[in-house]
Amino acid sequence: MSYDKCVRCGSCLTFCPMFDATGEEQFSPRGKTYLLQVMDQIEDDEELGKEFRRLLFQCSLCGRCEETCASGVDLLRIWHEQRAKAIETAPDEFAYLEPLKDALSNVKNIYGLAAEDRAIYWFDELEDEIPGLEDRVYEKGKTAEVMVFLGCLMSFRGSQIDVLRSLFQTLEKLEVDYLVMGSEEFCCGHPLYLMGDDEGAQVLREHNKQVVDAAEAKNVITCCPGCLIQLREHHNLENAEALHHTQFFDRKLETIPQYNQTEAFSYHDPCELHRILEIKTEPRSVINKMGIEFREMDLSCCGGGGLLRMTDPDLSDKVIQLRAAREGVQNTTVITACPSCREQLLGQNLKTKDIVELLSKTLQGGVE
Amino acid sequence: MRIRDVVIGANASMYYKLNFRKIKGVYYPRNTQEVIAAIKHAQTNGFTVTPKGGGSGLSGACTGGDDDRVMISSLQMKEILTVSKDQGYIDVQPGINPDQINEFLTPMGMHFYVAPSSRDIATVGGILSTDGGGNDTWVNGTMRDNTIRVKMVLYDGRLLTVDNEGVSSNDPDLEARLNEIGVTLHDVASSHGTLGFISEMRLLIRPNVKETLVGGLAEFPECNALGQALTTMIERNSPIRYGEAITSAHKDVREGFTPPLLILEFPEENEEDIKDITDYKPLDSEQLAKMKDIRIKLPKRNPNEGIQVALFEGYGFHGESLLRLQDRLDDIDALLIDHGLTPFAKYGHGPSKWYIGDNTPIFGLILHSREIRPEGKTGDELLNTVLAIVDKCEELGVTPKPEHKWPFSDMDKKKRLDAIRQIIGEGFNPFLLSPECNDVLGSMV
Repeated sequence: MSYDKCVRCGSCLTFCPMFDATGEEQFSPRGKTYLLQVMDQIEDDEELGKEFRRLLFQCSLCGRCEETCASGVDLLRIWHEQRAKAIETAPDEFAYLEPLKDALSNVKNIYGLAAEDRAIYWFDELEDEIPGLEDRVYEKGKTAEVMVFLGCLMSFRGSQIDVLRSLFQTLEKLEVDYLVMGSEEFCCGHPLYLMGDDEGAQVLREHNKQVVDAAEAKNVITCCPGCLIQLREHHNLENAEALHHTQFFDRKLETIPQYNQTEAFSYHDPCELHRILEIKTEPRSVINKMGIEFREMDLSCCGGGGLLRMTDPDLSDKVIQLRAAREGVQNTTVITACPSCREQLLGQNLKTKDIVELLSKTLQGGVE
Repeated sequence: MRIRDVVIGANASMYYKLNFRKIKGVYYPRNTQEVIAAIKHAQTNGFTVTPKGGGSGLSGACTGGDDDRVMISSLQMKEILTVSKDQGYIDVQPGINPDQINEFLTPMGMHFYVAPSSRDIATVGGILSTDGGGNDTWVNGTMRDNTIRVKMVLYDGRLLTVDNEGVSSNDPDLEARLNEIGVTLHDVASSHGTLGFISEMRLLIRPNVKETLVGGLAEFPECNALGQALTTMIERNSPIRYGEAITSAHKDVREGFTPPLLILEFPEENEEDIKDITDYKPLDSEQLAKMKDIRIKLPKRNPNEGIQVALFEGYGFHGESLLRLQDRLDDIDALLIDHGLTPFAKYGHGPSKWYIGDNTPIFGLILHSREIRPEGKTGDELLNTVLAIVDKCEELGVTPKPEHKWPFSDMDKKKRLDAIRQIIGEGFNPFLLSPECNDVLGSMV
C-alpha cells in the first residue's frame, strides 16, 4: 500500500492549505497517511472511523502534498481511493452528496437544472453581442474543427458570463471553426471522480465522447481545468485533442497586440491546471505575449477544489481568506484561468479576470 | 478518544504505534498563557506532559511513551517576536522553523545559521531539544551554539529563563537551587522535552556572509580514505561551508553516483588547501545543487521495492573510528545483516561537531543511517538491534546517535537530567528516563 511509503517527515505540513487554515495535524497529509498506517489500531472505534471519513473530504485535492513528497507517495491516488471507500463504507454519512449525484444522474449537470437549459442562460445573454451564435450551438449533423466544452459552472453561473463573452469574441475574431456543445454537453464527471465514483463518471464521459466524435472535432477546448482533467485523462478521446483555452490560444497566436495596462495584476495559477495537468507555460506565455506585467502569487490553493465548497464551505472560505490577507492582492486584479478559482476570488470581493478576458480586450483594440 | 488524539502521534521515527488511549489531551497553544493552561490541566489530573515540535526527529521522544499524558504541540507558536540586527538576535516562539526565520531575515541581510536537513519542518524548540545541527555545523555549531536564551514553563507552572550564564525565575528559591548546581543552556540542549515546555527563544543571528564559494565532489575508493580526508580537514580547521558525505546508497536512489563521496562547498581562496587534502572534481552551481538535492532527499526516498526505515539515526565517527571509517562501517553493516536488516543508505555531515553528555564538543563525521524495513520482525527484535548497535558503537569508539541520542545511551546526560528534575519536578516526558524506556519504545515499533 503506497501510504506505507510515507516516512512521516512532515514536509507536507508546510504547504498544506488545510493545515495552514486549521493548525491541527489531523487535517494535514501526514496526519491522514499516519491514520492509514495505524488504522489496525483504531478501526474498531466507530466514532474515529466517522471522523476519518469526514477528514478525507476536508481537502481541496490541490496536489501540493504529492508534489512536495520526496518519498514518492502517490497521495492524490490515495485520497481518491479512500474517498471512494469512505462513501461505500458509510453512505449515510454522505447523504448530503446524494442530491448532487442525483442531479448528475438525471439532468447531467451539478445544479439539477433542466439539461436543455445548459445552452439557455448564456445564450440569452450573449446572442445579441455575438452574431451567429445560434449557429455555433451543436446539433446532430453539425461538424467543426473545434468543440467548446463549457462545463457546468460556465454554462449556468451568471458570474462567468464575462469569460464566456470573451471566449466567444476571441474565437470569432480568430475565425476559428467552432461549435459549443450546448445542451448536448453532459457534466465531465469530475465531481463524481472527486467522490471516487469512477463508474458514475464513466457514463457521462461516454456520452461526451460520442458527441465529440460525431462533430468530427480535432480539438476540444475548455476554460475549466477540472473538466480538462476528465477530457484529457479519462474521456479516451481518440480523434480529438483536449486543450485548455490558454493552450489553444498560445498555439494559435505567435504574437498578440500589446495590452493597454492601467492596473496592477497578479497571477493565481490554478492547482489543477499547473500541478495536476502540468500546464504551466502556456497561460504565462499568453499573458507575456500581451506585454502584461504581473506578480506571481504563491503556487497554493484557493480552497475551491476537491468538492470542498460543498463538503466544508467554512474551511474553503478560510483558505482563500488567509491567502488574500497574506498575499496582499486587494489592490490588484487577480488573473486566473479557472472558473472555480474565479468563484473563490469573487467570493472575497477580489477583482479577477480570466486570461481570455484580457486577450479578448487586446484583440478588440482595447475596447471592452 | 478523538482523531486529533491519535494524529498527534505522527512522527518520523520508527516509534509510531502509540497506545492512543493513554493520550488524555492534545493542545496547540498560541502563547505562553495557553501553554500554562494546558500544563495546568495535566498537573491537576496527574498526567505527564510531552512537548512536540515538527515531529521530524527520530528518537521517539515526542511520542511520550505510554504514560497517561497531555501532548502539547508547538506548531501554532510560530511568531517572530522581536529582532535586533545590531545586537544580533531574534526572539521567536518555539514552533517556528529555520526556513521561516531565514525567509524573514534574508531581506535585512541577516541569517540564522542552523540548517538540519529537516529545516523546513523541524521547529527551533525541537532542534534545541535534540541539539541538532546540519551541514554547516562544523562552521556554525549546533543549536546550543546558536541559542542565547530560552524561556520555559515547568510542570508546576513556574517560569524559567535559562542562558549560558545560568537561570532566572519568578521563584527566587528555584532560581537559587538551579544556579547552585550550575544549570545553563547546555542542560536544555538535548534534554528531549524532559525539563519543561520551551515557550520562547532568543537565537543568534549574523550578517549574511559575503564570500564566493565553490563546489566540489571528492570520490574515494573506500571509506578509510574518506575518513582520512575528513580528519585532515578537522586538523587543519579547513573552512568547509558545506560538507556532506555519502558512504553508501541503494542503487535506486544514488542516481548514477558511486559512494563513498564527499560533497563540498568552500571559499574560492581555499581551493589550493582543499586540493591538498583531497582530489575533488569542481562542481558548477547547477551540479552542486543537484548533489545537494540527492543528499537531502536520501532520508525520504524509498527503493523501488520495499520501504526505508530509520532504525538508528546516527553514528558519530571521530578520532580513530573516523580514520578507520570503512572498517567500522563494515562491522556495523555486519551487525545489521546479522539481525536481518538490509542497509539502504548512510550519509551525513562531515566535518561536523556534536556534544557528548558532559558537554564536551567532539569533531568528526555524523553519519545518518537508513535500512530497508524487514518483513516479519517484531518491535522487540528491532529495538534489540538498536540496543546492539549502541553496544557496538561503544566497542568501536563511535558516539551513538550524536544528534538524537536519548539519555539511555549517555549516562552523563541521564544523571544530569535526573539531578535537575529532582529540583524542578518530573512531570515532563518521564518515560525517557525510566528503566522501562526500552520496553516502551520497543512496544511502539
